[in-house]
Amino acid sequence: MCMSDDRQNVVDMAGTRVDDDHLLSMYIDNELDAERTIALITRLRSDPALRARLNAMEANDSALKTLFAAQTDVPEHLAPLVTADNISIMPRMVNWTRRLTLSAAAGCVAVVALVASLDQPDVFNPMTMDPQLAAALEQSASRASGWERLDNGRNFRSVLTFPATDGRWCREFLLAQDESHWRGVACRDNGEWENQVVGSEIFLEQETQYRPAGTDDSEQVVRFIDETAADVALGPQQEAALINSGW
Amino acid sequence: MASLTAQQRQDLIEELPRLKRFCLSLTSDPADADDLLQITVERLLEKGMPEDAHVAKWSHRVCRNLWIDEIRSRDVRSRYAQSESALEGAGTTSANTDESVQLDRVSAAMERLPPEQRAALVQVAVEGCSYAEAAAFLEVPIGTIMSRVARARKALAEDLEWSAEREA
Repeated sequence: MCMSDDRQNVVDMAGTRVDDDHLLSMYIDNELDAERTIALITRLRSDPALRARLNAMEANDSALKTLFAAQTDVPEHLAPLVTADNISIMPRMVNWTRRLTLSAAAGCVAVVALVASLDQPDVFNPMTMDPQLAAALEQSASRASGWERLDNGRNFRSVLTFPATDGRWCREFLLAQDESHWRGVACRDNGEWENQVVGSEIFLEQETQYRPAGTDDSEQVVRFIDETAADVALGPQQEAALINSGW
Repeated sequence: MASLTAQQRQDLIEELPRLKRFCLSLTSDPADADDLLQITVERLLEKGMPEDAHVAKWSHRVCRNLWIDEIRSRDVRSRYAQSESALEGAGTTSANTDESVQLDRVSAAMERLPPEQRAALVQVAVEGCSYAEAAAFLEVPIGTIMSRVARARKALAEDLEWSAEREA
């Protein structure tokens, strides 16, 4: 029950002391009961300062609605992304994460990338298999360090080669472009290399270095390998023989 | 809980505009809001949700948790502390009108609010939620919503009053 006490702008409400700003706020939100509403309206009639405060709050609310009404636009690619089933997620290059979160379905034959919005045309889309990447996968030996230079400022390293349960040969690889690194797995299907899963590996922003390795993404790749590999990775000689034989 | 049902997907699509505004209320930056929305959708698609889950509440919870876990915990917001008003220009169409000036002031004042107050105020004042509904979305007691909304309005009013006096 609302009871005014000796302090003009404080009332008791269900055991909680509420000042005028709380009262006005609840009034605006239609959260005051009838008794408190009547009491407040009575005060508003005779208290210009209180009325001015109410008007200011309502004006601010109105401005707030206008502000947020201008911000309801949802990136166009999101609705198709939600609608689509059994797809991998290829987000646009975001400013604060710049990371790719991919959901690789276990045992899937191929992961389809949905690339709806890449704001920067020169930004590499890691799910796209291009001739240079395919050639690197086709010909490069796995190694523990060092990089092979591709176009668009990309650096490539094959990490390992393993047989998949469906009979294809697959390769885990690393790609780096600027500050973005990706770890992925591509499999060779009828002579064509297809990316199966790609996740952001590390992102270090120069200014803050706030973004450590994306463990979730790496786990996706590891999980994919665990669930897809039919055997352990090939040794260097086995791999070299396989490459030289044209797979 | 591996994927979303068709109905959940449809509900999520319909929820996206509101979820975007929620992201904006958390980040106070349109670009970051888009990013947060993006990873929220990714997470929902990746993890799914229970069949009986309320899509709006669930998606808001995921969004908020992502914000807490991946953004606030890394103190990313500090990157913006010295920057221009995050909502600067949002919703403004003509730079020199009284309305646009007022909108700029409000957006700047909003950015200075604590995120939890901003989120509560947006749920109530923008989305039209009751305190009970906002409390359910933000998973806090109703009294907390009441308090946060009131303190947010009070801070906004005082901030804007101060801004107007300073510019007068």
